[in-house]
Amino acid sequence: MTGAPGHNLRVEGLSIAYGSGPRTLHAVRDVSFTIARGEAYGLIGESGSGKTTVAFALLNYLRGGVIRGGTIEVAGEDVLAMAPAALRDFRGNRAAMVYQDPMSSLNPAIIVGEQIAEALRRHRGLDRRAAWERAVDLLALVDLPGPAALARRHPHQLSGGQQQRVVIALALSCEPDLLILDEPTTGLDTTTQAVVLDLIGELRQRVRASILFISHNLGVVAETCERIGVLYAGELVEEGPCATVVSRPGHPYTAGLLRSMPRADRAAALRPIPGSLPDLTRPPAGCIFADRCEVASAACREGRPGVRRLAGDHLARCLFPERVADLPAGDAGPLARAQGPAPDDAAASLPKLAIEGLGVTFRQRRGLPLIGRLEETRALDGVSLAVPRGQTLAVVGESGSGKSTLARSVVGLIAAERGGLRFEDKALAPRAAGREPDLLRRIQIIFQNPDGALNPQRRVLDIVGRPLRLYGRAPAAAIPARVEELLALVRLGARFAARFPHELSGGEKQRVNIARVLAADPELIVCDEPTSALDISVQAGVLNQLRELQAESGLTYLFISHDLAVVRTISDTVAVLYLGRVVETGPTATVFAGPHHPYTDSLLAALPEVGRPRRPAVAVPPLPGGTGRGCLFAPRCPQRIPGTCDRLVPPLAATGDGRLMACHVPLAGLAEAQRARDAGGRD
Amino acid sequence: MAGPAPGPTATPPGIGARLGRLGIMLFPALLLFLVAFGPLVTPFSATAFDPAATLRPPGPTYLLGTDEFGRDLFSRIVAGAQPTLLPALASTFIGILFGTATGLAAGFLGGRRDEVIMRAMDVLLSFPALILAMLIIATLGANMVTLVFAIGFVFWPRSARLIRSAAMELARHEFVDAARARGEGTAYIMFREILPNMWGIIVVDFTLRFASAVLLVASLSYLGIGVSPPTPAWGLLVKEGQPLLQLAPWVVIFPCIVIAVVSVGSVMFGEVIRRRLTLPDRRILA
Repeated sequence: MTGAPGHNLRVEGLSIAYGSGPRTLHAVRDVSFTIARGEAYGLIGESGSGKTTVAFALLNYLRGGVIRGGTIEVAGEDVLAMAPAALRDFRGNRAAMVYQDPMSSLNPAIIVGEQIAEALRRHRGLDRRAAWERAVDLLALVDLPGPAALARRHPHQLSGGQQQRVVIALALSCEPDLLILDEPTTGLDTTTQAVVLDLIGELRQRVRASILFISHNLGVVAETCERIGVLYAGELVEEGPCATVVSRPGHPYTAGLLRSMPRADRAAALRPIPGSLPDLTRPPAGCIFADRCEVASAACREGRPGVRRLAGDHLARCLFPERVADLPAGDAGPLARAQGPAPDDAAASLPKLAIEGLGVTFRQRRGLPLIGRLEETRALDGVSLAVPRGQTLAVVGESGSGKSTLARSVVGLIAAERGGLRFEDKALAPRAAGREPDLLRRIQIIFQNPDGALNPQRRVLDIVGRPLRLYGRAPAAAIPARVEELLALVRLGARFAARFPHELSGGEKQRVNIARVLAADPELIVCDEPTSALDISVQAGVLNQLRELQAESGLTYLFISHDLAVVRTISDTVAVLYLGRVVETGPTATVFAGPHHPYTDSLLAALPEVGRPRRPAVAVPPLPGGTGRGCLFAPRCPQRIPGTCDRLVPPLAATGDGRLMACHVPLAGLAEAQRARDAGGRD
Repeated sequence: MAGPAPGPTATPPGIGARLGRLGIMLFPALLLFLVAFGPLVTPFSATAFDPAATLRPPGPTYLLGTDEFGRDLFSRIVAGAQPTLLPALASTFIGILFGTATGLAAGFLGGRRDEVIMRAMDVLLSFPALILAMLIIATLGANMVTLVFAIGFVFWPRSARLIRSAAMELARHEFVDAARARGEGTAYIMFREILPNMWGIIVVDFTLRFASAVLLVASLSYLGIGVSPPTPAWGLLVKEGQPLLQLAPWVVIFPCIVIAVVSVGSVMFGEVIRRRLTLPDRRILA
C-alpha cells in the first residue's frame, strides 16, 4: 500500500436509482465526499435517506440498484470500473463492512477464530498455523478478554458486544483501505455500545483505513468521527467538522434533527420536523427539503440550491444558511399538565397501578421434551412500583433487565407467579383471559415494533375499529365515523382508514397503534419502547403526541424504555431495573440530578450525546451465573464494598431526597465517588 | 453509462409469460369441465367393446388409439377424469381441513397440548402413505367413500405439521399479543388474526396434495383398491395397459402423461394463486 496522497476514498457526483420507467426511485442523487486515510467520516441519515445504498455502492454491490452517474475511487482505483476478479479481491481484501446485526456476518456453526483464519488463508495466503495465530492477535486487538480461548468459541457463546467486536476483528483481518461501519452499535445496549465506540475510536489511530461510519444517531457519530455528512432523501445537504455541524448547523434539516433529539442532561421539549420524505420517484426541482423547511422561500423551490461554503470545510446545500440560526430553539413550550379530577373520591388518592412484589421466573426445558431438566431464569424479582393517576412512570434498563416482562405482566400476557397487580382498588388477575372485559379495556398496551403489532391482512378501519366492537364502545353503524375521529386525534387523515399496514410509514403505523389503543378509551397505557423503532424526527412527533393526550385526558402511562434521553423527556417518575430488580426509583429530575446508583451512573456515563463528553466505558464483565447472592450489580460495580455487596442483598431504602435506592454505599459516599471521578475525567 | 435497469421490476412480462399464466388459470376450469361433463362429451363409449377396432395406434379416428377390447383411449381418459379427480379433490379437501384445524390449534396453543397433538400426528406419519391408505381401505371396505377418507387421513398429519409451523411463527407476532392483551378469545385469534395470514401456504399445500392425491388414487386403483374395472380411472388404465406395454405402448403412455400434466399443472396453478392472494408487502411468511 503506497501512501496515496490526499484522499483515500473519493466519491464524486454519485447517483443511484432503483427500477425503471415512471416508477424509477431516485434513491441517491449527486452525492460527493472524500475520506482521508485514518480519518473517520460519519454519514447521518434517517430511514429512506439512502445511507445504506451509498455504503453498498462503495463496494459496487448494489442489488437491484443502478449507478446512474458518478465515480468512486479507493486508493486511486475506480471501483465502478473493476473487472469481476478484481472486484472480488477488492471486496474481500481491501474493503470491509460491519453490519448492525453481528450474527448476519458470523456463521453460527463455526468457531469464531476459524472464521477469521479462513479469511486470512483465502485473501492473505497464510498457512493454517500463521492464520490462526494472526486471528488470535486480531481478537486481542479488539480488546476481547482471553483471545486464545475465545477464538475456540462459537458465536452464540459470546455476548452481543463480543460478537460485534469479533466482526470488527474480521473486518480488520485483511488490513482494508476502506472500513464501512453500518449502524454497528444500534442493536447493542448503551453500556456495550460505549465499549464498542471506544474500541472504534482507538482503532482509528491504529489502522490506516478510511472509516465510513453510518448511523442515524448524531450522538454516536459526533464522538467517533472528525467530519460528518448529513444525508437527506438521497442528497448530502450538509458536511463539516463534527463539532461545527452539531453546534452551528448550516442546514435547516440538521437543525431540525438536533431539535427533535431528546436529551438526558436536561428536560427539554421536542420539536419534530413537520411533514414527511418527498416522493423520490419524482424528486422536486428545487431544494429537496423545501416542503418541510420552516425558513424556505419561493426561491428555494425554483432550482436546486448549490453548495455553499460556510467556513473552512463546512458546506451546506442551502440558499439561506444564515436563517438557520434564527430558527426557534428546541422548545415547543412547556406542556400544561392536566389537573385531573379533584381527589374527592377514595379511588383518586390511590395510585392508578400498583405493582406489589412482582416475581416472574422463566423456565426452559433442556434436553428431551416433557422429561428434560428445567432451567430457571428470574426475569422479575420482587418488583414493587406505583404509577400515580395522570402521570408517567418510566422503567429503564438494558436488555435482560426484565422491563418488557414487567410491561407484559401488567397487561396479562405473562402471568406473574409471585406478588400482585392492583388497578386502583381492584386486584388484577395474572392473565388477560382471567380479567373482566372492563378492566381489559381500561389497560392498553403500545408495542415496540409498530409493524409487528398490526395484522398485515387488515385495513386500518378494521384495526382501529376492533376495540370499539369488542368493548361495545360504538354501535356497528357508527364505527367508521368514530374511527375517523380517532385517526384525526393522532393526526392521520380519514383516507388512511382504507389502507393496509404496508401502505404506511413507520411513524404512521405507530400512530395507528395509538389510535387503536385510544379506541378502547383506556385509563392506563403501557408503552413498551413505543419509539425505539422510529426515526428521531418521527419519535419526537410520537412522544409529543403521547404527552398531549395525557395533558388532555389525564391518561396514566407506564413507559418502558432503554433510552435515558427519552425517559427524561416524558416521565414524571423513573425506575431503574437491573436483572429483574429495582435498583433506584424516584422523581425523574432527582434521579437524573444524582448522585446516582452505580448502575444508573454507568448507564448515564455510557450515553453518547451531542455536546457532552462521554467518559471512557468500563468493560462489561459477563453476567453473574445465577448465584443470586448479594447485590446483582456487585460484579460490575466500581464502588463495591468487598464482603458486604457480594453477600447481602441491599434493601430498597429511602435516601432522604424522595428516592428509593438499593445500594450498600451511602448516598454521601456515592456523591463523593462520582464527584471525584468527574473531576478526574476533566484533567 | 448505465442502460435500462435490470431486475424483476424492470421489464413487463412478455406475451409468452402472459399466455402461460392464462393457460395455468384456465387449467382448473378444464379439469372441472371434464369432471362435470366428461362422460357426456366422449366421441365413443368409454366402456363398450368394439372387436373390430382392437389395439389401433393413435390416428385421426381414434386420437390416442384403442385398447385390446377396441375401446377408444381418448374417450376413456376423458371419462376417467371424474372417477380419478373427484376422489382426489374430495380427499385433499378433507385432509387440508383437518390438517389446518389441527395444526392451527397445536401451533397456537403450544406447550403440552401441542406435544400431545403432534406426537399423535407423528404416529400417523410413521406409516408410509400408500400402506396406511391400503390398511384403512382393507379395514373399512373398498368403496369410493372409504377411498376418499383414507387419502384424506393420510394427508392429515402431513398438512398439520406444515400449518403448525406456520401458526407458531405467526403466533410470535405482536399483533397476536395485542389481541391477547385486548382480551380476544382463542377462536378469534386463531381464525381472524392468524388464519388470514396463512391462505397462501394453505393454497400451495392444497395444490401439492391434490397432485399427490391424483397419484394416490391412480396407484390405489392400479393396485385394484378403491375403483374397479370397467371404470376408466386413470390408474386403472395404466394397470390394464401394462401387459401391452411392448405391443401397444400408447395404452400406457397417454394415461401416464395425463396424470403427470394434471399433477404439475395443479402445482403451477397453486403458485399463481399464492402470488395473487398474498401480495409481497402483506406476506409475513416466506
